[in-house]
Amino acid sequence: MQPPIRVRFTAFVGAVFLAALGSAACSRGTGGSSSANGGPASGTVIKSGVDLPLSGSDASDGVPTENGAKLAVIDANKQHLMAGYTFVADVLDDAVNGVHSPNQGAKNIQSFASDGAVLGVVGPFNSNVAKAEIPLSNNLGLALISPATTNPDLTKGPPALQLRTTNPSSITFFRVCATDDIQGPAGADYAGKVLKLRRAYLLDDNETYGRGVSDQWARQFIADGGSVVGHDHITKGQQDFHALLTRAGGLHPDVVFYGGTTSTGGGLVRKQMADSGLGGTAYFGADGIRNDEFLKVAGTSASDVYATVAAINADKLAAAKTFLSEYQDQFHQPVGSYSANAYAATMVVVHAIVDAAKAAGGKMPDRAAVLEKLKTTKGFPSIIGSFSFDRNGDTTNKIISIYEAKNGAWMFLTQQNYAK
Amino acid sequence: MLGGALRRRVRWLPFGLSDAPLSRLLVGVAVVIVLAMIPMLDRNSSHISAFADTGYVMILAFGLNIIVGYTGLLALGFAAFFAIGSYTYAFLASPQYGVHLSFWPMLLVSAAVAAIFGLLLGAPTLRLRGDYLAIVTLGFGEIVPQVFQNLDKYTGGPDGIAGIDQPRLFGYAFGFNPTPYYYLYFVIIVICLVLLNNLRNSRVGRTWMAIREDELAAEHMGINTTSAKLLAFSLGSAFAGVAGVIYAAKLSTVSPSGFDFNTSVMILAAIVLGGMGNLIGVLFGSAIIGLLNFFVLPQSSNWAHSLGTALHMDFLQGVDLNAYRFMIYGIILVLVMLFRPEGLVPSAARRAELHAEQEAGAGIALQEQAEFGADIP
Amino acid sequence: MADIHQFFQQLINGVALGGVYALIALGYTMVYGIIELINFAHGDVYTLGSFFSLSILGLIPLSHIASGPALGLIALVVILAAALLCGIVGVLVERLAYRRLRNAPRLAPLITAIGVSLILENIMQLWKGNSEVPFPQFLPDRWHIVGGVKFDDRAVLVVAVSVAFMIALNLFVFRTRLGKAMRATAQDRDAAQLMGININSTIAWTFFIGSALAGVAGFISGMYYGTTFFLNGYQAGLKAFTAAVLGGIGNITGAMLGGFLIGIVEAMTSQYISDQWTSVVVFSILILILVFRPSGLLGEQVPEKV
Repeated sequence: MQPPIRVRFTAFVGAVFLAALGSAACSRGTGGSSSANGGPASGTVIKSGVDLPLSGSDASDGVPTENGAKLAVIDANKQHLMAGYTFVADVLDDAVNGVHSPNQGAKNIQSFASDGAVLGVVGPFNSNVAKAEIPLSNNLGLALISPATTNPDLTKGPPALQLRTTNPSSITFFRVCATDDIQGPAGADYAGKVLKLRRAYLLDDNETYGRGVSDQWARQFIADGGSVVGHDHITKGQQDFHALLTRAGGLHPDVVFYGGTTSTGGGLVRKQMADSGLGGTAYFGADGIRNDEFLKVAGTSASDVYATVAAINADKLAAAKTFLSEYQDQFHQPVGSYSANAYAATMVVVHAIVDAAKAAGGKMPDRAAVLEKLKTTKGFPSIIGSFSFDRNGDTTNKIISIYEAKNGAWMFLTQQNYAK
Repeated sequence: MLGGALRRRVRWLPFGLSDAPLSRLLVGVAVVIVLAMIPMLDRNSSHISAFADTGYVMILAFGLNIIVGYTGLLALGFAAFFAIGSYTYAFLASPQYGVHLSFWPMLLVSAAVAAIFGLLLGAPTLRLRGDYLAIVTLGFGEIVPQVFQNLDKYTGGPDGIAGIDQPRLFGYAFGFNPTPYYYLYFVIIVICLVLLNNLRNSRVGRTWMAIREDELAAEHMGINTTSAKLLAFSLGSAFAGVAGVIYAAKLSTVSPSGFDFNTSVMILAAIVLGGMGNLIGVLFGSAIIGLLNFFVLPQSSNWAHSLGTALHMDFLQGVDLNAYRFMIYGIILVLVMLFRPEGLVPSAARRAELHAEQEAGAGIALQEQAEFGADIP
Repeated sequence: MADIHQFFQQLINGVALGGVYALIALGYTMVYGIIELINFAHGDVYTLGSFFSLSILGLIPLSHIASGPALGLIALVVILAAALLCGIVGVLVERLAYRRLRNAPRLAPLITAIGVSLILENIMQLWKGNSEVPFPQFLPDRWHIVGGVKFDDRAVLVVAVSVAFMIALNLFVFRTRLGKAMRATAQDRDAAQLMGININSTIAWTFFIGSALAGVAGFISGMYYGTTFFLNGYQAGLKAFTAAVLGGIGNITGAMLGGFLIGIVEAMTSQYISDQWTSVVVFSILILILVFRPSGLLGEQVPEKV
């Protein structure tokens, strides 16, 4: 028995050494995943991390948003904002098995933090992912600018304070979209006052975003004179909603509000409503379902469906004309709800880096300097309009737009600015 | 001469190293030194983080090895105990309830809580046949994350609990820096190895293996198989509890999705690959699975992308080896079971057992084919 | 009155869901009956059935065919083709992954089965992506109202197809030579062999039939839900297995009964407790049955073989 033991031990040692050598070797190589910089990299590379859900059901939200961020980096390089430096978008996917995952998001932030060239991160898309990432960003002093997370508790009040575990007074999370305390009521007003709906049945996916937005929606819907006949939660990965919807049908709602994303079941619920006698009932949701994945999954049931988005409709903006045509040329894909927001968020980061570099005499700035510049962003001119960050890190530009699903497409209905 | 002197001083070393020739001893020392130096050799913190995360796979594998490898009980929902350990720490050291207990005693508290749940599940079910037990534990593994997900008032629902406290040691805050976690795992793994090595050779360890080899015979020899199995089950679960605490602290957040069946399968694949019942094998298997999962697969996609850029081959840009992760686990499980059921680094007893049965089985099958070849359905 | 309507409405939901579970449960119970293996990959064969159906439907220019009988014929062809393909997959899996381990310790083939399950899931993920795949709704959809309870053709289809295949299976197992060989092999493999039964081919046929039924379930669930997803088989498989255990594993009638019962339990949990807790309720039933009555509702008390 002696020789085999020796062999196995030697093999074990050899493997350990190889692993150690391998890791040491590749730590010197350039890390980073898919990147876009518009032409060959020249000079020193400065990275903006991009953390979004890019696979599975969430991809129809994540990929158009990613495109917006990539386009901003391409434009920044074209404009030669910083001599001797090239901007690169370093993109990571936070979806696991096709659905956004808080754990994966937290891991991505750690991996961005380990790369000294990453000076800010654009993302995430989903509020529960942000909830896992904000404590990290706060601890590491790495700025996080979200194009699309709408839960108010991420920035406001005691819940937000609890997320900033290391430096409660330091803001490291910013966003360029409006929040659900505006989005929910705006949607409820439309349902109650314009569509004249009176009996709502609420369904949410029990996530930070879904639960929050449905509570906000319901509060305003009741204030407008409507009533809530029931409220249930669904489970991610659930396939069969017949029993749940049959129960809901017994409550005779004239609208079903869904708080959540398509990836957590928004499309399946709409599709199965028809099987359970709720085919003629209106379906109302928020930005989590305003995506092409919803249209694909719901199929012919995607009508009489309404959704709010906590961002401006870029199609209606003169400032966004060039963005829209460039986007088409570059990606040959439709623009998503938050593509323009991602462009604006990335531009804010890029300009904060440029300003910080100027202050440092043209040298590559550190993360703290970039963060300082972001905090003092005032009247930043962007393709989604001029905006500032308030003391919580929220945008002062609070626009909600409303869409309806019709004939296999999302049609724009109206939008309003809720800035005080 | 020198060897003899050294050997006399190191009687306590595990794995029979005390009786090993000097060369093996030196090799062992070299391995420990190299592993301890990794954070100094490789300063990329995402790599260190990946190596540190391999640590929780190892601790979980140690725990599952007690249940599956030593005692021969197949537990499929092992991630449930990992979840219980993580959430116990999250409840008692986060803003969720405003309780902030210290990390270090919580290692033992969570271990105890996980062990109690192990007892509660084990007591009524351990008398079941092997594959029924597997299914019961699988059901339990499905129920636990669901309960954490549905009791959102207490557990934060699908979002889980964020802002979990991170350890401090003599005023030094671990924070999100992976290096101290790497050393913490390192120390705990060494403690586990020494403990488990002693346990395996103890009366309890021999009892477990007697049950694995032949439960009925063990019972006739006067062994209280029920209490021995319960002990294995709760002790294994306690390891998962410890792993859960460090995992939750390092990530500073827990959510139910981190504890699904895939996690249980990952741990099972680790011990099957390495060699059930053998500590070195389990260590080796969990190192391979952990590094594959946290380091090689994420990195290899990057390598393929870089190669694609360098060679102007577009298809390499789109390669995502992460997408093949479960295929790789699956192939490992199937191939190892078919061709080397004792694992890469088998325990002698296990190998003898598995091969004897297989050879006998193959012999009978051949004979059968020769004698009853006719197709008469 | 409304409550009674709700109850019957949920009963229909439960029976339709149960029909799918029952078809899958049959495969579990047949394989377990004959080689005492929990074929963990069986749930994924069910998903594979819906994916095969989808691909076959993709080959047929559905929009050009309008008439009812032709569509019914298409449905039958797709069902049989999906069943055949799934049956072949089942036989291949048995041949490649399980046969070598027939005399190995029991845990070995179970671990292999988990491995096969992961491989199949990953293949399906690479094949159709990791998001919901829409399933063409080519059959005309009519609503029926019986005593105030509404249901559509698809619910009827699910129940009719599953019951038809169950009857066919019963006839097969109890009226044919191969069925007899299966029962004999399940009872005592060695004795069956001495009687001149080819064990290998009998087991292969068992896998073929069980997997083919899963393929049928895959097609009808695709029709019923209008979508399919590569991971569907995992949960559905576990619940179908629960159904097999509830009915008494190894018992064909028990698997059908268990399937319908589990479907009904799920629907009623959703109506009277909370939709969120359906999985927890089903898996708690699994644990309770295994602990208190491992032989299930219809199974016989069999002492453990030593």
